[in-house]
Amino acid sequence: MNTTVIAAGTWVRGSIQGDGDLTVAGRVDGEIEVAGDVTLEGTALVKGNVSGARLVVRGAVAGDLSGSTAVVLEDGARVVGDVRAPSLGVGDGALVRGRVETSDAVGSRPASKATSRAPERPAPAARPAPAARPAPPPPRPAPRVEAPKPVAAKAAPPPAPASPPKPPPPVVPAMKRGAKVGLKKKAAG
Amino acid sequence: MATTILAAGITIEGELTSDDELEIAGTVRGKITCKDALTVASGAVVEAEISAHKVALAGSVTGNVVAEDRVDLQAGGRLVGDVRAARLTIADGASFKGNVDMDV
Repeated sequence: MNTTVIAAGTWVRGSIQGDGDLTVAGRVDGEIEVAGDVTLEGTALVKGNVSGARLVVRGAVAGDLSGSTAVVLEDGARVVGDVRAPSLGVGDGALVRGRVETSDAVGSRPASKATSRAPERPAPAARPAPAARPAPPPPRPAPRVEAPKPVAAKAAPPPAPASPPKPPPPVVPAMKRGAKVGLKKKAAG
Repeated sequence: MATTILAAGITIEGELTSDDELEIAGTVRGKITCKDALTVASGAVVEAEISAHKVALAGSVTGNVVAEDRVDLQAGGRLVGDVRAARLTIADGASFKGNVDMDV
């Protein structure tokens, strides 16, 4: 009798933690952190993060799921939160809203303890664009080139590191902003 | 079955409410409300206010116990706290420290 069962008529407000397996058919408002497997039945309603070895979900969860072995979302599962496990299964009829990550067991274990963000490996297919970001800055050079104040020179450099090829012509609007900011900072300091 | 079972090795901190039977072999800190029978098994550690229809204690309980029907403190059981119940039994070998309030 190593399996803990939270039956349908039971409501836990608080944390559940420890060894052994856990089956929830009732309601839990709080953290679930067990070493064994966790099964959330169709009638389960969990508000809180759930972590265990292998999570099988058929019920509703508002919180992050973290399985050190696997997470299986079956028909009836409604998950609002991030899902992380080395092995992930999403069945037909399961609903998920959140970030899903299948990471190596090595990477996920230390992370799974706290609310982790360290080993992020965001959907590679989704956004391979980040490399393109540094390019955009140059398009600002406003044609009005006047008032070469020394302050402007100071203000201009910040954007420069991203794109070095434009030292002299400071942009007028940027100048004003920079100058104001500089003044404010000085005033504040 | 609709029995809630809290196995040994599991700890719940907070409030536990159940409409059906409740069996505790692990640890609970907080408050327990059960509309049916509550069983605290041998080896269990409960530090909570307990309110149930019927209570059987074979483990360690610290906290007040209120039962509509009865409280059975079984051999090996340990209870530190007040008891309010219609009926109470204390088995030989059980330890108990607290007040008893029965409808007289």
